[in-house]
Amino acid sequence: MVEKPPKPPLSGIVYGEIAYWIVLTGMVISIIGIAMYLSTESNYIDSSCLLSGLWNGADSGTIWKECAGGYEEGNWYLKRLSSGDGVAMLGIALSCLAAVFGVWGSVISMLKSREYIFIVLAFIVAVILTASATGLISLKH
Amino acid sequence: MNRIIVLMVILASITFNMGTVAASESDTMGLSPPVFFILFLGISTIIGIVAVLAGVGGGVIFTPLMMGFTPIDGLIIRGTGLFVAMTGALVAARPFLRRGLANIRLLYFAAVPYATSAVIGALLAVYIKETMGVTGEALIRLALGIIVILISLLFIFAGNRIEYPEVKKVDKFTERVGLAMAYWEESVGRVVSYQVTRSWVGLILFSGVGLISGLFGLGAGWAMVPVLNLVMMAPLKVAAASSKVLIGIGDTAAIWPYIMQGTIFPLFAVPCMIGLVVGTIIGAKIMLKVKAGFVRYLIIGIMFISGARLIMQSLGMLGYI
Repeated sequence: MVEKPPKPPLSGIVYGEIAYWIVLTGMVISIIGIAMYLSTESNYIDSSCLLSGLWNGADSGTIWKECAGGYEEGNWYLKRLSSGDGVAMLGIALSCLAAVFGVWGSVISMLKSREYIFIVLAFIVAVILTASATGLISLKH
Repeated sequence: MNRIIVLMVILASITFNMGTVAASESDTMGLSPPVFFILFLGISTIIGIVAVLAGVGGGVIFTPLMMGFTPIDGLIIRGTGLFVAMTGALVAARPFLRRGLANIRLLYFAAVPYATSAVIGALLAVYIKETMGVTGEALIRLALGIIVILISLLFIFAGNRIEYPEVKKVDKFTERVGLAMAYWEESVGRVVSYQVTRSWVGLILFSGVGLISGLFGLGAGWAMVPVLNLVMMAPLKVAAASSKVLIGIGDTAAIWPYIMQGTIFPLFAVPCMIGLVVGTIIGAKIMLKVKAGFVRYLIIGIMFISGARLIMQSLGMLGYI
């Protein structure tokens, strides 16, 4: 009798597909953003000042202070989508959300399976990722 | 082909040293933002190619090399290191999950301690930077230097992995959790059903690996594969595939404290991300044409030098040299 390949779990496929396409979209957006950043003057963080800061070993706080007049906590790019660096950072953030959406999709697709231990574990992972991405887990000042 | 790779590595090391010189002179050596972009795109592409040929993830080389040989701030490099390791892992995860090579049960079982401790590591990194200043940075560099040297020793002495480990006895805890699965092994044309064991040891080790990954901005494949393959006795292909998917999940948890702190700058992160992904693709294509053993020893040498340099830097910052 010829063996048939086992069917891969749906929850894994769902995670893989969602994460892949979101990270790819994020990468494309960040490339468009960086092209805008390097080719136009309408940027939030001055590119020459940023380069000088990076190359001279300045920390992020100093770079923000000197190149953008201070740091707007958290998701600053959402208010700066007309600038190249805002668009590029949106792409980066979207890439960093890929696994968050992927795991939630995986949790939903697991519900039919009745593998309760793994539904709970996947749910815990989804909550940790969401809490981290929304800034619920962060160092408050 | 080997000569080309050696030439690329030499060029990269010259560029890195130029960066160090630039730091001491406190200017940008006439670099414009587009040139900076192209420079780091090229360096990251080379890192991606060499990493694939050596059989390691780009993240584990990226952070120590950048911290050891460029003037860029350590926290910015570690955040970017996590970002590039994460994107590479997320792109690579899809085929492993479609083929059922990555064990989804094992993934979520390991992801809870790994993601939790990775977030703690990332928060700790930001906290150390904010409260301990130069001393904190020096201690981070010292610890990273030691870890990188230990990883390079791990590559030399623990290279023997087992393709199909034989599980003689499954402990009660692992049996109750139920992590056994099966996958289709293309090379032998049959279904491979496998068990894993010692999952409670795995839980402890995944917590440690997550903390190191989040704190130092390293990819974690160097530790994850041995834990899954040699401790939990998963088949090598399953361990490698599951580790790749797990890095994508764990590093996502760890990256957000860095983003919220404003340490990710697109001008640095985007070329490094594109370079590593492109380098990985090119590396996979030329892998069949070169002798990987030589490249593996080259990587071990580079990591050893990076580790030694990080330790020297930290001793200098602490005033011992």
